[in-house]
Amino acid sequence: MRLSGLQKEVLGLYRQCLRECRKKPQATRQHFQVFARSEFDKNIKVDKRDFAAIEFLLRKGRRQLEIYSSPGVKDIR
Amino acid sequence: MFRTAVIRSFAAATRTAIRPIPSVSARRLAIAPVSKPSSFVPKTVAWQAVRCYASGGSLERGEVYERIKLLLSGFDKVNDPANITETAHFANDLGLDSLDTVEVVMAIEEEFSIEIPDKDADTIHSVDKAVEYILSQPDAN
Repeated sequence: MRLSGLQKEVLGLYRQCLRECRKKPQATRQHFQVFARSEFDKNIKVDKRDFAAIEFLLRKGRRQLEIYSSPGVKDIR
Repeated sequence: MFRTAVIRSFAAATRTAIRPIPSVSARRLAIAPVSKPSSFVPKTVAWQAVRCYASGGSLERGEVYERIKLLLSGFDKVNDPANITETAHFANDLGLDSLDTVEVVMAIEEEFSIEIPDKDADTIHSVDKAVEYILSQPDAN
């Protein structure tokens, strides 16, 4: 399956999220992974040609990742 | 382990080196053809215990496949563990979506303790591609 540039960016963001999860404490890492996945799943129905919506969600996701990757955040539910 | 081996061999070397010093005349007389081999034996033995970074370390294709298979069979989104074969495609054969594929590639990264850059990670869509990639990485273990 060929992926568009935007789709690759989405997968890249998800990969980045999982990488950040590894920096979290072992005990709560799973929570972060489940949360990241649920955030992506929320918008899984967005049409792949709806560029404006995807761009917006990417920006939103990056901001969210930045907030949650702060070392002060130790758990999530 | 490396450090203790180094200390041990160093101690063995210095022990034999220091001993003849007090009797300078004795050292001069015996030009140490006899003591030399005995002083070197413990040193080589100690060094053999050290596994050098350059030695071995390459992975077998079969072993890599087995580890990836084990990893995939532990992944609950795989539709049927029986579908995991040498050539299985993540999306077409195992029923994984693109996000699951990212998760699998990340898990493979962790399993073989390497870092796969995004550019390469995007091209890994099947078990044989993953095996191929791991084998091409000298750092993988």
